[in-house]
Amino acid sequence: MYKSTGFISFFLRRLTGIALVLYLGMHMLVIGSVTASPEAFDATLAVVQGPMFKIAEIALLAAVAYHAFDGVRLIIVHYFNVIDYRKSMFYAAFAVAAFFTAIGGLLILQLLAAHTAG
Amino acid sequence: MTDNGSQQTATVRVQRFNPDVDKKPHLQEFKVPLQPGTTILDALHQIKTEQDGSLTFRRSCRHAICGSCAMNVNGRNVLVCKTPLARELDRNGRVTIKPLPYLPIVKDLVVDRSSFWEQYLRVKPWLIPPENVPEKEFRVSPEEVEALRNAETCIMCGACYSSCQVIAMTKQYIGPHALLKAFLRVLDPRDTAPAERLADLAGDDGAYRCHTIFNCIDACPKNLNPTQAIETLRKLAQKRQALDAARKERQKTLNQPVR
Repeated sequence: MYKSTGFISFFLRRLTGIALVLYLGMHMLVIGSVTASPEAFDATLAVVQGPMFKIAEIALLAAVAYHAFDGVRLIIVHYFNVIDYRKSMFYAAFAVAAFFTAIGGLLILQLLAAHTAG
Repeated sequence: MTDNGSQQTATVRVQRFNPDVDKKPHLQEFKVPLQPGTTILDALHQIKTEQDGSLTFRRSCRHAICGSCAMNVNGRNVLVCKTPLARELDRNGRVTIKPLPYLPIVKDLVVDRSSFWEQYLRVKPWLIPPENVPEKEFRVSPEEVEALRNAETCIMCGACYSSCQVIAMTKQYIGPHALLKAFLRVLDPRDTAPAERLADLAGDDGAYRCHTIFNCIDACPKNLNPTQAIETLRKLAQKRQALDAARKERQKTLNQPVR
């Protein structure tokens, strides 16, 4: 593979894109259980609110944040001539995504700790 | 680099592959004398003439204009005739030379560039002049010429094509080299068929297949910008009928002085 920030961006964009599509499918199945009965919905949701799923939500947040901010970077690159800044723009997008993932991740963990304690 | 008395040496690792003998490529190490100004091409020549005559590589002009000697040095595509050996050595005084990636290897550092040339021919890389050719020269403004300068500078070395991640995935993609040369003709005021060219270029295997990965810009030994040419092609393709009309107007005045 020819290594570059462009390649990393492309690869992670594809990976997070596929991951988000798969997540969306599962999400629709879970929420769709409401059409069966209130009890089915409650039971399904009880499963996906377990601690392992909460941790997995942090990974989901990472995927969403990366895909979103790299997407913004891509739109800027398409409409403006910023070739000279191509590497620093990728690092910036990655840093912003990491920042939001960290903040959100901490909040999720905090809620999880409070929930299991209480 | 190791100091061998008065003579410095560098360790050059070259990828070898002889289709008659080898099952797969392998790396071979050579020790090469290092002097100020030694290029990687000098090192390859030294190996071939003094150590192993079977080492096979393409080269010609040795001053970065013919485009023959593009190879992969320490993971990046460069022209070896203008790459100083000393600059590419790691802490252990070693450099790794491989052929251009993603293309079939013919022998050692020589790759099969058929797909590169086929895609180039596909974009009709020649001027389609107007019917009325002026008696003397075509009168083109300095601004119009300047817009073509980057695309004209391309020496067709293949560094960009072979670094492109899309090319790695499929050889159906036209490629940054051909799209840059097509851009040259589309923008040329003397060319009569910009809309026709754009219709062919702006398909799924052309300008819209680029993912703006930018490896082509990183690799280009002439610091050209195929990505921007491709993006401009996309924008022009949306308005190709207007471009065609403007071109017809412009060509009425091609044999008149530009003010």
